[in-house]
Amino acid sequence: MRKVSFIRQMLTQFIFVLIGLFVILPMWGIFRLAFDGSLIGRPTAFRFFPKEWSFEAFFRVLDKPYQSVDFLILLKNSLVVSLGAALVAVLLGISLAYAFARFRFPGRKSGLFALLLTAVLPPVAFMTPLYIILGMLQIRTTLFALVIVYSAFAMPFCIWSMRAVFQTIPKELEEAAFLDGAGDFKTFIYITLPLSLPSIAISGLIAFLIGYSEFALGWLFVDKAENVTLAMSIYAMTLNQYLGGAQPWSYVGSLAIIMSIPVIVIFLILQQTLIERMVLGSIDS
Amino acid sequence: MKKISQIILRYLFILLVIALAFGLRAHAAATLPIDYDEDDYLRAGQEFAHLIRTSNWRGFLETNYRPEHPQLAKIMFGVSILGLPEEPLIPDVPITSEPAESLPPDQLDAARRMSTIWGTLTAGLVALINPIGGILLAVHTFTIKYTSQVMLDGFAALMSTATALAYYFSKKKTGRQKTAFLVTSAVFLGMSASSKYLHSAVGIAILIDWFITARENGAVKKYLRNALLWGLLSLLVFFICNPFYWADPIASIRTTYEAVTATTTNTNVERANFPMWQQLMYMSMSVPLSWSQDGFLIRADGLIFVLAMFGIARTWKKDRFIAIWLLVDLFLLLAWRTKWAQYILVATAPLSFVAAEGIKESGRNIAAWWRSRRERRNEALEPVRNDSRRALPWLVPGLIAFTLLTILPLVFQSAISLTDFNVSSLREGFNGGIWRAIWGGITGGVPVTSIDINSNSNQVNFTGLQAYPLVFSYITGSFTTWNIIFFNIMWTVLSVVLQSALGLGVALLLWRKGIKLTKFWQAIFIFPWAIPEMIGALMWLNFFSPETGWLALAVQKYGENIPLGFFNGWENSADLWLVVYLLAAVWYGFPFMMLASNAGLKNLPRDVYDAAAIDGAGAWQTFRFVTWPLLLPLLIPAMVVRGIFSFNQFYLFQTFFFTSSTLATFSYNVFNPSGFGIRGQFALSAVINIIAVAILMILILLFNRWSKASEGVTYA
Repeated sequence: MRKVSFIRQMLTQFIFVLIGLFVILPMWGIFRLAFDGSLIGRPTAFRFFPKEWSFEAFFRVLDKPYQSVDFLILLKNSLVVSLGAALVAVLLGISLAYAFARFRFPGRKSGLFALLLTAVLPPVAFMTPLYIILGMLQIRTTLFALVIVYSAFAMPFCIWSMRAVFQTIPKELEEAAFLDGAGDFKTFIYITLPLSLPSIAISGLIAFLIGYSEFALGWLFVDKAENVTLAMSIYAMTLNQYLGGAQPWSYVGSLAIIMSIPVIVIFLILQQTLIERMVLGSIDS
Repeated sequence: MKKISQIILRYLFILLVIALAFGLRAHAAATLPIDYDEDDYLRAGQEFAHLIRTSNWRGFLETNYRPEHPQLAKIMFGVSILGLPEEPLIPDVPITSEPAESLPPDQLDAARRMSTIWGTLTAGLVALINPIGGILLAVHTFTIKYTSQVMLDGFAALMSTATALAYYFSKKKTGRQKTAFLVTSAVFLGMSASSKYLHSAVGIAILIDWFITARENGAVKKYLRNALLWGLLSLLVFFICNPFYWADPIASIRTTYEAVTATTTNTNVERANFPMWQQLMYMSMSVPLSWSQDGFLIRADGLIFVLAMFGIARTWKKDRFIAIWLLVDLFLLLAWRTKWAQYILVATAPLSFVAAEGIKESGRNIAAWWRSRRERRNEALEPVRNDSRRALPWLVPGLIAFTLLTILPLVFQSAISLTDFNVSSLREGFNGGIWRAIWGGITGGVPVTSIDINSNSNQVNFTGLQAYPLVFSYITGSFTTWNIIFFNIMWTVLSVVLQSALGLGVALLLWRKGIKLTKFWQAIFIFPWAIPEMIGALMWLNFFSPETGWLALAVQKYGENIPLGFFNGWENSADLWLVVYLLAAVWYGFPFMMLASNAGLKNLPRDVYDAAAIDGAGAWQTFRFVTWPLLLPLLIPAMVVRGIFSFNQFYLFQTFFFTSSTLATFSYNVFNPSGFGIRGQFALSAVINIIAVAILMILILLFNRWSKASEGVTYA
């Protein structure tokens, strides 16, 4: 192995420190806000560390972060909306994904194009029609409406990526089962599904994250405080802050941290799988 | 015989271009209001006309009204009004004043007519070697505008186009003819420079191309001598055309320098606060309707710009000089401090050439696609009958859900875009008004209502396709001079390139053998990837927000001279604000590109590197000739994923409340009933969405032809 010279080692480490600062600094800004117990409204002077370390903001936020709505209700709303959307997208999409992966039927090509196109559209592209349709059905302001909206965003992507998963399962395996007398459905349940379950779970996770961190469309649809999700309340609190609201800024910081922790933990635990699915998925083709 | 008829046809076509160019310019000259600076150049013309009339030739030595520009084009304006009776001198006002209220009408007409002729001749010159390019230049609205008003740019553009064409012909000739063309180009270059300094850019392009050609032929020494002579000749012509420099060149240069400084640093420039890339934005759109409602009959500048982007690679291969000409001009426009729209005339002639190549390129691509489509149809696996039957039970449930959730809303969206549904007709619309309007409109049962954004009719009306041209001209800057589509695409390109560069760079550093702590650093660098986008945006908002942000507070406490202190006040800076958004976007996106590069690097075959090491390749050579070509095909799909994400970027901009950034953000804010500005316009937002869908569709088709990248669409 070639040895790296001392200077080169130092230079590389120096570059890493710079990039590390670039990565860490903005996160630290939120951290310092969240743990500062001395804030009454907005921070008025620059500090690198909190003036008084305190967890108070966290306790407050875990109690009633937004407009005297319980944290648990917000969390429940978030979970209902994002889990619901993920389930709808995966469960209703799975059969279509399988059909596209396995069978050659007329119209398959145009179907794939429609799928790809809808998968790359921004969520906003669905906002106008869904708002009107759900409004006409008079369910626009309910959590159920948000489930529908978020599953509409997530579904094309889920189908697209599950289709890719099914295509990686060797056809020979299925054909063997088929020859043994198992029908399409049985083959799917006993052969294909168990093999692709981890990757399907990742698609579901991503669908979950779309709903979990969405706020802008949520605010268009929902108007009652008890139907607000965590992400929506963070945005509302931020807006309120910059419009000169009286809440200590540490609240937004701590709520943002609380909200990100589960996601970060999931990403760190599933790192390898996620990289394989999300990054290699884009490379392997 | 065929040849002769072709030649005749060609010249007829050129005549047609000339007629078209002249007609459009004459129309504009008759309709356009008096613009900034027209009074200045007309006054300069009056002064020269007076000198000529009184045969005061010595006066040429000291007369140069507005000395930031040389004399020749102004003298030409003097010639244009020579035949008219003398009028009192137009008053001398500061350069920052508003356009003149009125100018002597006869003189204005005469000077504008002169401008028109220059503009027409330029289009004719372009048509001489590229008829389609000539047409494009003839209809280019910004070119029409500044070649039909009393501006120096028209004459300068004619001279610089002549310079370029003379050089272009010299490349095809040998011996004395070559020399003759080169001398001609030097003469015209001198005249370009003495019309407007910026237009000497074509000379730089010639020197670059000439040098490359000489190096290819191994004749660099000869090149140096010839280029020096050529440059001296054009300098001599410049000197001859500018009597102003004769008496005391040094003092004149100083006067010029001071005047240029004054024009590039005055309050108008500060107030306009244009970003570096402003000229690209001007090129991406036609002259705004807010500048002139009816001066231009064809508005296709944006299309010409897009075509030029498609054509640049082909032009480089076919006529390298033309490509260099355009690139040098674009570089100069980016670098030059003042960003007045007339400066783009430096580049519109080469732009038309390249756009014409773009038409040919697109035509070829479409033809190839058409041909391959037929072949593919023959090759494509026939749908298997048995398969269709087996697929049916799988298709039905998913298809119903997919159609209900995504296809139907999109179809409904295009129906809504035919109405004027907005927040004031919300109630009626929900109670069946939308159906009534759409159904009635499509069957012809209700009349088409003309669209009116300020209407607060509480009833939904059918407006047909009217909203499309309206919205399209709005988002391409016809009313606001801010082209959202251009910004959206520029944003996509910049952020993907930067993310990929940083991601790949970090991955390469981490990949190097013997570097310590790589696991630790990688774990740190992955973090932004795991944070939801809106929280990341919040972090950057907290860092950069004006007055209340971390940085602003730090500057308050320690003053401007801290690291990153120069960012303070970014929200008022023409260029820094984009850097701030790009920082946030790169922060969020580079980990994905780092991981993708990492994965790609692991797949690279080791033995190639051993071979490279044995051949004695250095680090740079190894990267350039081994790593990069092997890695690029692996990275393109990841870049496409990031590109789609950046094109749709929304949460970052919404958090910073930058509403006219991407189409998605703009559509959201047009829709939002409780927003600011244009709001609650549901139908208009539907139109924007459909335009975005169309653009994405084109991008996907392009990418699919380019590589199979779309297969890898994943969540980024």
